[in-house]
Amino acid sequence: MEVQQFYYDNKIVKKFIVATMFWGIVGMSVGLLLAFMFLFPNLTDGISWLSFGRLRPLHTNAVIFAFVGNAIFAGVYYSTQRLLKARMFSDVLSNINFWGWQAIIVGAAITLPLGFTSSKEYAELEWPFDIAIAVIWVAFGVNLIGTILRRRQRHLYVAIWFYLATFVTVAVLHIFNNIQLPVSALKSYSVYAGVQDALVQWWYGHNAVAFFLTTPFLGLMYYFVPKAANRPVYSYRLSIIHFWSLIFIYIWAGPHHLLYSSLPDWAQNLGVAFSVMLLFPSWGGMINGLLTLRGAWDKVRVDPVLKFMVVAITGYGMATFEGPMLSLKNINAVAHFSDWIIAHVHVGALAWNGFLTFGMIYWLVPQLFKTKLYSIKLANAHFWIGTVGIIMYALPMYVAGFVQASMWKQFNPDGTLVYGNFLETVTEIIPMYWMRAIGGSLFILGAFIMLYNIVKTAKKGSEVSDELAEAAALAPVTSKRTTGEAYHSWLERRPVQLTIFATIAILIGGIVQIIPSLMVDEYVPKITSVKPYTPLELEGRDLYIREGCVSCHSQMVRPFRSEVERYGEYSKAGEFVYDHPFLWGSKRTGPDLLRIGGKYSDNWHLNHMYDPQSTSSGSIMPAYQWLVKQELDKSDTEAKMRAMVQLGVPYTEEEIEKAQQWMTEQGTQIEENLYSDPDFVKTYEADKKYAAENNLEFTEMRNREIVALIAYLQRLGTDIKVKNAKEISSN
Amino acid sequence: MEKCFHCGDDCRDELILHREKNFCCTGCKTVFDILQDNDLSYYYDLEKNPGISPKVSEDKYDFLQNESIQEKLLDFNDGNHQIVSFVIPSIHCSSCIWILENLNKLNKAVNSSQVDFPKKTVRISFSSKDFSLRDLVLLLSRLGYDPYISLEDYDEKKANIDRSLIYKLGVAGFAFGNVMFLSFPEYFEVEEFWLEQYKGVFRWLMFAFSLPVVLYSGWDYFTTAYKGLRSKMLNIDIPIALGIAVLFLRSSAEIILDLGTGFFDSLTGLVFFLLLGRFFQQKTYAYLSFERDYKSYFPIAVTRINTEEGKITEEQVQVYEIEKGDRIIIRNEELIPMDAILIKGNALIDYSFVTGEAEPVEKISGDKLFAGGRQQGGIIEIEALKPVKQSYLTQLWSDEVFSKDKRGTFQTLTNKISRRFTTAVLSIAFIATLFWLIYDPSKALNVFTAVLIIACPCAIALAAPFTLGNLLRIFGSNKLYLKEASVIEQIAEVDTIVFDKTGTITSNKRNTITYEGIELNPSEEEMLGSSLRASNHPLSRALYELLKKHNIATPDEFKELTGKGIESSYKGSRMKIGSESFVRENASANVATLEKPNKTAVHVSTNNNYKGCYVFQNAYREGISELFEELGQDKELVILSGDNDGEKENLQRFLPEKTQLFFNQKPQDKLDFIKKLQQQGKNVMMVGDGLNDAGALAQSNVGFVVSENINVFSPACDGILDAERFKSFSRFLQLSTKGIQVIKWSFLLSLCYNIIGLAFAVTGHLSPIVAAILMPLSSISIVVFTSIVTYRLGKKLKSE
Amino acid sequence: MEIIYMLLAISVVVALIFFVAFIFSVRKGQYDDMYTPSVRMLFDDELVKPKTENNKSTKHE
Repeated sequence: MEVQQFYYDNKIVKKFIVATMFWGIVGMSVGLLLAFMFLFPNLTDGISWLSFGRLRPLHTNAVIFAFVGNAIFAGVYYSTQRLLKARMFSDVLSNINFWGWQAIIVGAAITLPLGFTSSKEYAELEWPFDIAIAVIWVAFGVNLIGTILRRRQRHLYVAIWFYLATFVTVAVLHIFNNIQLPVSALKSYSVYAGVQDALVQWWYGHNAVAFFLTTPFLGLMYYFVPKAANRPVYSYRLSIIHFWSLIFIYIWAGPHHLLYSSLPDWAQNLGVAFSVMLLFPSWGGMINGLLTLRGAWDKVRVDPVLKFMVVAITGYGMATFEGPMLSLKNINAVAHFSDWIIAHVHVGALAWNGFLTFGMIYWLVPQLFKTKLYSIKLANAHFWIGTVGIIMYALPMYVAGFVQASMWKQFNPDGTLVYGNFLETVTEIIPMYWMRAIGGSLFILGAFIMLYNIVKTAKKGSEVSDELAEAAALAPVTSKRTTGEAYHSWLERRPVQLTIFATIAILIGGIVQIIPSLMVDEYVPKITSVKPYTPLELEGRDLYIREGCVSCHSQMVRPFRSEVERYGEYSKAGEFVYDHPFLWGSKRTGPDLLRIGGKYSDNWHLNHMYDPQSTSSGSIMPAYQWLVKQELDKSDTEAKMRAMVQLGVPYTEEEIEKAQQWMTEQGTQIEENLYSDPDFVKTYEADKKYAAENNLEFTEMRNREIVALIAYLQRLGTDIKVKNAKEISSN
Repeated sequence: MEKCFHCGDDCRDELILHREKNFCCTGCKTVFDILQDNDLSYYYDLEKNPGISPKVSEDKYDFLQNESIQEKLLDFNDGNHQIVSFVIPSIHCSSCIWILENLNKLNKAVNSSQVDFPKKTVRISFSSKDFSLRDLVLLLSRLGYDPYISLEDYDEKKANIDRSLIYKLGVAGFAFGNVMFLSFPEYFEVEEFWLEQYKGVFRWLMFAFSLPVVLYSGWDYFTTAYKGLRSKMLNIDIPIALGIAVLFLRSSAEIILDLGTGFFDSLTGLVFFLLLGRFFQQKTYAYLSFERDYKSYFPIAVTRINTEEGKITEEQVQVYEIEKGDRIIIRNEELIPMDAILIKGNALIDYSFVTGEAEPVEKISGDKLFAGGRQQGGIIEIEALKPVKQSYLTQLWSDEVFSKDKRGTFQTLTNKISRRFTTAVLSIAFIATLFWLIYDPSKALNVFTAVLIIACPCAIALAAPFTLGNLLRIFGSNKLYLKEASVIEQIAEVDTIVFDKTGTITSNKRNTITYEGIELNPSEEEMLGSSLRASNHPLSRALYELLKKHNIATPDEFKELTGKGIESSYKGSRMKIGSESFVRENASANVATLEKPNKTAVHVSTNNNYKGCYVFQNAYREGISELFEELGQDKELVILSGDNDGEKENLQRFLPEKTQLFFNQKPQDKLDFIKKLQQQGKNVMMVGDGLNDAGALAQSNVGFVVSENINVFSPACDGILDAERFKSFSRFLQLSTKGIQVIKWSFLLSLCYNIIGLAFAVTGHLSPIVAAILMPLSSISIVVFTSIVTYRLGKKLKSE
Repeated sequence: MEIIYMLLAISVVVALIFFVAFIFSVRKGQYDDMYTPSVRMLFDDELVKPKTENNKSTKHE
């Protein structure tokens, strides 16, 4: 009732901003390193934890969850307090949120390079981290909702709604996508197999983009753009319509990521339909954001903050226009697996998320330190360098996408592929990769300039870690004559409680739903010839996962003539029933591997892994020499098989007993095959002799990792033999 | 001229320099100081000169001490904590919001205050221990934010805002989204393996979603349709209700008997679009009320003088309690609530509220005062002749026009169409069914339902709401505010326009002052100026504005005799200014009185030589004659004036001669006049301004109020036109007629869709997907069509 | 593909939550005034009060 004095917590905001800038630069730098690996495949020669496959998830996670994540928290913690006229519900929770989140990121930065990954995109972290994320996220949610309950401003500004939506949906998505069966401390298998796993993963994947990269940032847009321009949002009504329509549509749009995959067509079409519908609310939001600056273009010209925001919003518009287009089957047929997608996501990430974050920081830091920005010039410099960087990045990638995709599809009159050798399509776009690398470097340069500028600004200002404000508590009035809005405090709290209860309800409901799907799935039409992997193949598959092969190689032959011609018969849902997790992949930097089995000799694979360029010159695949040297860790094999049994893979108890022996047999077999190559014999025997002389202990080839990997690769796609490939391809 | 730092007005008669800023009056300066001292000067950073010049009269709000009145005003009261909501017409910018929401910085007793800008209301909660409602109101009015407290507030609070439409829309939209999500798959895959497994689930989910849509969102259509049938009126809702019902029943039947998916998506979509139309059509100008009667003008209470056994006591009483013979005190700026006789004091009554007449009239003791007049100047004492309700002005509201709703009888275009439409549809349905009964009975039912589904006039029902809704907004942005969209349809049918004169076709802001008589020499003019400056009489002020250029000297002697005029002397020469009688008494009549009986005039004499007079004429709005020319082409024009015929020749000079002129029209006469016209089968539009036009406005088919300042309340009407757009009045009328044409065109358009659909239907080929495509397609194309056309029309209006 | 049941359930439930939230917010009159909040959020309440650091005022409910 009475007017109260209270303090806004600026410290936590500051912490998150620091984290944002730090992880932003880390994540981008990793990205840059990866970009250069396209040009110098063996840049990090022989260092397993710096290999492309292992760094790529680090890049995506660092940028999405570390950079963008911290930016979200910074913005949310700043705006929420002021919009609700209340300090955050609990400083303890705030700090748990901060330190917990950073700890998780550090954990990720260590485990991902070491190859501990679940291989599901944007959800690569292994199960312990998944749990930690869930916990920290809930802490954040409690803090947010608690603040809403303690608010001194009756009306919830639209931004708050976006934050709430973010919390609820991300929580749900994260939990359901990461239901895994742990095998060991840092190894687990997704409970879903093949098609189902894919469906869940991309339902998550899409919504991760929707609710982690979009809704919170829309909230930030609706707060920081008006603030920076010091004029109300163009149409508040529209912003509210924007929110509700977005919320009601986004959640459906997942499956379009799997067009032409072995996913049920109707699910795909569904995805398409809703992605297209998404265009309207998205653009509604964009227009609303841009029109907020109407009549303020003079300001925009001079104020770097607004410049950044304008480009950010425009980027959002472009990305959200492109998205639905990409979800159209015929466009997707071209774009999917190609660099077009890379361009698409980076327009989103660099422009929308990156620039909005930059704009926010440039506005926020002077506020927090009660001073002016150290140098407008530098900020402008950052803006221009960054913008050029984005263009330099995106355009070449689009071109690369078109070029490669079209080359994949070109036929000679005689019905053979014009570019039968995948490598031709790779070498063709190397120049584009060069430009991309340059564009990326510019963007990072910009980030460094910002870092300097911000540090200087902070030095110059005096920080106010707790900012005094005052407002009256919401008056809970109980009266026979309460007109207009209802005032009862319990009613006040109701929607929030409801949100909580409902969330719990879904969780329970969801769990109940899963139990049937834990059993193997009789609806996926059985293909009798499809058998579980042998223990060695299983181990090989885990290596495939560990090395992140999935980030460059798909395992999904789409039913196009060109693909069937190039790779073999298109994928059937039934082939993946034992794949925990699925490994369809989303990008073809290298060729598809679904039908690789039996195409090449074991020796070829060995040599190719040891020195890719030796077998296929001009290849940009890095060498995986440690696979050839290291001994395969077979200690967990039985446990893994048992886990698989739980997930419905029909290993008999006897098979599990015999696992070790079985592996040795298959390994020896492959070793024998390798002996067919004199060069191999020479070097191998030499090593053996050398080891014997200096009595170093020597791992037999049959016990090395490479053998397991070869076993897996040779098995791939062989369950159904490519007999009727031709007739299929003809229709 | 310097602008006031606070309110931005020109600093006319005085210029206060204070903290190196200019102020036009002490009021503004005080507000500035208050804000400065409480370091609320951010007020001035938010906007440029945001302030309102306050006119405080402390005792104006004494009645707020009256317990019963307080009870009426407060939203909430638990003894030591109270909540109240006020309408504050002067809220106009973000600074206003800011200062009003920071009241507690000015007085700790205020806990919180929340502004609703569109409604121009503020809701304040304060602790009433040592801070009364009156103190609060005074705090506000000292800042220039006088709350508007009127008799209206005394009568019961209006019911809560009706949000049911939003709920219905929400339900429909939610269900629509989900049902589409669920029905989509089947459109693409007919015999797809997995789909077969899930059809059941999907279909029943769709059923579940569509239930609330039919039973809640769409329910109104059934009720209105039923009402229509009962009153033998085939309104548009009948085919719609029919469509919804059939859609639902057939779809349910299909999924129960496992014949197909049904039309749930079309069903939910249909309802959603229809409600969207409704939602779009209603645009309310929250801060304008089209329902006002005298209550919103009249004070809630007055000061009554009681004389029990000799000793005189003042008391605040609710105006309704005033009876004949009560003695009442009226202070400066206060309104006279009932017809009365002036007892003491110098009355200077401004009737602009009632008649629109700008110039206040002076009354002397014994004169009759009419309700609705506003006292200017000192305190007066009056004796009530009638209670409020039977006063000359207020009894007007006893006429039954105010009780009956005029929209009731009006047949909208849509309903006119739907009569034919419905009959057509039904006959087609039956014929087609008959045909199939003969050839292939199995198909008959299918066809019958199909026809009713496809013929459901979604598009037709949308045409009017969107067209009119758009026009409503266009008008609004051009400063013509309509009560509701259907008004536009009626405007289009108007064939006779009746204008009030004063305040409607004349401006009550600007006056033209003409001097007639012997030229005054400079020194005389100078002296005149100086004398006028000292007087507060509004005529003097107006005249002074005219002469202000002169260097001002203070008269040696100055005497103002109320009801007569000014007598002053300067450097030996004497001057009399004022009413003719006063000036002319013992003045040498070397100038014949220029015969201007019915004109407001200020006469002047120097040293007892009558010089002449300044004649005040209220100026006609610019472009008035062109406007009348345009309107006259296809409409009958009438002018009903409350005042005498002094202006007759003048009017006849520049108005089309077939314009009929009537003078000395009492409020009731105006009402009856309109009635007479209507009995002759005319569609009459009344254009007025004051309360005295209220009856006519209510009686007319369309009543417009012309207002210099839309924040000042205007009587009940269908539309409020900002005076500055008066010249483009005829544009608005033309636009309305164009709008009706647009609706007709879109009817044609949607008819095409219906015919296409019927082709499918009667041949029994209506598949869910066809419906699902046709229905939204037709609706959306209608919406697009109407919006584009109306937008272009609006552009034209803007360019005016 | 029981997974569909799960995804359906989740999607619908999530949608339902937001729907309920929507109804409640309308009920509470959150959307009665569709303009003022957008202006209100521009006001910096820190600006109003001169910074008096130290002596953290204790919240009194």
